[in-house]
Amino acid sequence: MAAGPYNYSYIFKYIIIGDMGVGKSCLLHQFTEKKFMADCPHTIGVEFGTRIIEVSGQKIKLQIWDTAGQERFRAVTRSYYRGAAGALMVYDITRRSTYNHLSSWLTDARNLTNPNTVIFLIGNKSDLEAQRDVTYEEAKQFADENGLMFLECSAKTGDNVEDAFLDTAKKIYQNIQDGSLDLNAAESGVQHKPATPRTTLNTDQQPSDKGCAC
Amino acid sequence: MELLLNDVVDPNDLKKFRVMYEDQSSRGVPSEKAQFEYSMCLVRSRPDVDVKHGIALLEDLFKRTRDTETKRDCLYYLALGNTRIKHYEEALKFTKLFLQIEPQNQQVQHIQKYVKNKMRNEGLAGMAIVGGAAIAVGGLIGLGVSLLKK
Ligand SMILES: Nc1nc2c(ncn2[C@@H]2O[C@H](COP(=O)(O)OP(=O)(O)O)[C@@H](O)[C@H]2O)c(=O)[nH]1
Ligand SMILES: [Mg+2]
Repeated sequence: MAAGPYNYSYIFKYIIIGDMGVGKSCLLHQFTEKKFMADCPHTIGVEFGTRIIEVSGQKIKLQIWDTAGQERFRAVTRSYYRGAAGALMVYDITRRSTYNHLSSWLTDARNLTNPNTVIFLIGNKSDLEAQRDVTYEEAKQFADENGLMFLECSAKTGDNVEDAFLDTAKKIYQNIQDGSLDLNAAESGVQHKPATPRTTLNTDQQPSDKGCAC
Repeated sequence: MELLLNDVVDPNDLKKFRVMYEDQSSRGVPSEKAQFEYSMCLVRSRPDVDVKHGIALLEDLFKRTRDTETKRDCLYYLALGNTRIKHYEEALKFTKLFLQIEPQNQQVQHIQKYVKNKMRNEGLAGMAIVGGAAIAVGGLIGLGVSLLKK
């Protein structure tokens, strides 16, 4: 499955945040595995997934941290915000409470990430139109007011899921190109990979990653 | 997986949650939340002594809590903590126990797969996985059925 070691020139770090049950883990799974996990157990602490994508001819490895939404993890998962280049902030279009909590998630995201972190708002479960509790227009306005990118997605059908992850990457890449994101800054969330493999650990073909579906 | 295992707690967090926990301990029994947060920091700390301390606190919390979600979280971090200090046999006990209750849990499957690979690579296989060693986690079995409901 892997395209070979270090077959990419950048690593972008993402975090996914939002209330429990909005579909964060399903979105990650849909994006990395192209499958819907109907019976997804509650995430414990943080989970992690990767996928290599291409933006403007550059291969980019997305390193995505999926956080548990429960309050008791919140104190601990906050530390994962640091050094994120992209933050996907998710609510459930069928549950207004998850939308109402966005301002608190956004405050955390703003306070704990760097000013260049791209924040993307996702209204998930767009397949459940009949149960809709938050209109598109309302959320769009919230996004515009706060300078967020926005899409409604469905982790179930896969609708717009690729776009949310890819548009975030495009925006980050654009920030690199126009110089607004400084790669040398400590917590930019972006690593530039030299063309040659790293030689820090074993030099043979990444033995540790083998067999891990992450 | 490697990333999760090399992930190190922010020293400020470790300190903050230690102070909270110790403050509560000095006045009586610390809250489950304080104990859980402090142990989550400890098992993600670099020195082995910290991780071991975290494991001890998690075992204690596992025994005293009545909340099945907390028990589940403790088991997960017990597996992760033991993996971090390369106590692979211990780690497998916890993954196995967890997977008996929730066989499809990918987070735990990943740990288990990683540990088994490590043991195979380091020639440890056969020392522990065989036989009933996994049952030896005294007192931890009680949660069985209660965890089944989601
Ligand atoms: N209909 C529908 N259900 C979804 C969708 N995404 C997630 N779910 C369901 O919502 C529940 C919570 O999903 P999960 O990813 O665990 O949420 P998390 O706590 O934010 O990680 C699960 O039962 C999923 O099956 C979606 O796009 N459409
Ligand atoms: Mg989740």
